[in-house]
Amino acid sequence: MAAIGISNSAPLNGGQKLAMKYFTVAIALFGAQVLFGLLAGIQYLNPDFLFGILDFSVNRMLHINAMVVWLLFGFIGSVYWLLEDESGVPVVGLGLGNLSFWVFTLAVVVVVLVYLLVQVGPGELKSIWLINEGREYIEAPRWADIGIVVCVLVFFFNVAATFSKGKFTNIGGVLVMDLVALAGLYLAGMWYTPNISMDQHWWWWVIHLWVEATWEVLVGCLMAYGLIKTMGVRRKIVETWLYIEVALMFGSGILGLGHHYFWIGTPEYWFTIGGFFSALEPIPLVAMVVHAVFDAGTHKVKSTNNPALAWIIAQAFGNFFGAGVWGFMHTLPQINLYTHGTQWTASHGHLAFFGAYVTMVIAFMYIAIQKWRGDVYMSGNLVGAWKWKWALFLLHAGMITMTMALLISGYEQSQIERAIGGSTWMAYFEAQGHVWFMQGMLWRQIGGWIFAAGFVLLAWDLLTIGKRETRPALKVQAE
Amino acid sequence: MLEPVLLANFFIVFFSAASVILFGAGYALLFAWSRVRSRPRLMMLAYAAYAGLVVSVITLAFAANLFNNSFWTFIVVLMLVGYLVAPHGIWHLCVGTHAEAHEDEVNPIKVYQQR
Repeated sequence: MAAIGISNSAPLNGGQKLAMKYFTVAIALFGAQVLFGLLAGIQYLNPDFLFGILDFSVNRMLHINAMVVWLLFGFIGSVYWLLEDESGVPVVGLGLGNLSFWVFTLAVVVVVLVYLLVQVGPGELKSIWLINEGREYIEAPRWADIGIVVCVLVFFFNVAATFSKGKFTNIGGVLVMDLVALAGLYLAGMWYTPNISMDQHWWWWVIHLWVEATWEVLVGCLMAYGLIKTMGVRRKIVETWLYIEVALMFGSGILGLGHHYFWIGTPEYWFTIGGFFSALEPIPLVAMVVHAVFDAGTHKVKSTNNPALAWIIAQAFGNFFGAGVWGFMHTLPQINLYTHGTQWTASHGHLAFFGAYVTMVIAFMYIAIQKWRGDVYMSGNLVGAWKWKWALFLLHAGMITMTMALLISGYEQSQIERAIGGSTWMAYFEAQGHVWFMQGMLWRQIGGWIFAAGFVLLAWDLLTIGKRETRPALKVQAE
Repeated sequence: MLEPVLLANFFIVFFSAASVILFGAGYALLFAWSRVRSRPRLMMLAYAAYAGLVVSVITLAFAANLFNNSFWTFIVVLMLVGYLVAPHGIWHLCVGTHAEAHEDEVNPIKVYQQR
């Protein structure tokens, strides 16, 4: 048995060792996301800052791309973490998985360096292949796009082959089906058509369907495993609810895609489809509330890993407010006409991504760290618990401050730029110079600094938590 | 098909739409809590939350001009009915999926300190 509190990879299985590598890169990229977000935020307040050296367009691109990639690394790491445990057999093709990790990481480093050092190229096909594909949020050059698909396919092979060889649990089944969609949908963002409406039509398949379908289901699988591990919730119940949640999410989420088709030149029937399914999208959240109360009322809750459980609870609230409340406030086309693409959208995006995804990846990192430190005690009265609690608080305080500030700026934009100014170029600048907008940006920056402080504390805690503990972890007797 | 929101109604739309979700969650929370704890008084509060939801949906519908079109009127009715019955349906699913919960009383989930 590993020494308690000492970091040691020996007790980890092959998949879990690989997962630790993914988590390490994920946290580094999380730091990059925070850094470039801060720089982009400063540029709103002082447009001359780094002008001509690291323009806002580059900072923003790095901020968002870093988020997409670090969450992807976090998800992949989380799945490798649970893979052998769930399937009961060693990861099939682990060597290929390790190779894929290094290729993926190297590709990310090269892409970031090109973004930073080359930044832009002439309007030629060569630029699309080597510098920047030019599609918002998925700007990675074409060679990296192909690399991402290959790495995701290797990941899919590892997961599908391992479950096929071992036990195909319900979590495993949902996961494998979801990974088919995860890899397949990315292809939709890889071809170019000269018609901008058609181009946007396919681009949203990646952006919306990754985020509001495949990622949600992936997080559902991780949540199911996390609840079994941290609270000993019975597998049968968790897996049944995984199916219900998946059905509800797919039922509303797939055609909820319609709310992105309102203003890109697609036919008018998308107003009907988008409006209808967007109205349905909060239903899984209502289901979650009822089920959470039912579970809390029928079981006496005690956790083996308090930081992980706290982040899982944060996920439930964050998802509800970020995706549910902030989403529904401006999802109907009658109002979305004015809010689409303003800071209102940024407000929703910040809270929803943080609430639904960041929280879950952090929870998994704590689950991993616990075992890495020899299955160390992480329940009540944990030595040095202030760090994880303050990290949780600061990250949330920073995120809420940013969300509210962006909301105020977005509200001002929707009125001054859209409703009064009629979305003209002049109205855009008038709205950008308005005092509400500027104050919103200032408070967003303050929120960003608070969030950055929380991130530093989180990174420090992940490196040190359990180091001074001598007690072994509490054990749950799960089914 | 679409009648955009008037500038004067922006805040009402945002506020009422947020209230729809919050009252919806409040109703679901109180409904489940009342059933779990067998406290009928909480059920009254749950339906009070649902009444808040009805007011929010109607306010949203007027502010966002939803009653001016039959499709959007249908969406309003769907929201009212959906939010009312969803917690009931989910509750039945909870009871069904936890049908073997009595086994827990014989063999409760154990959380213990390793030696």
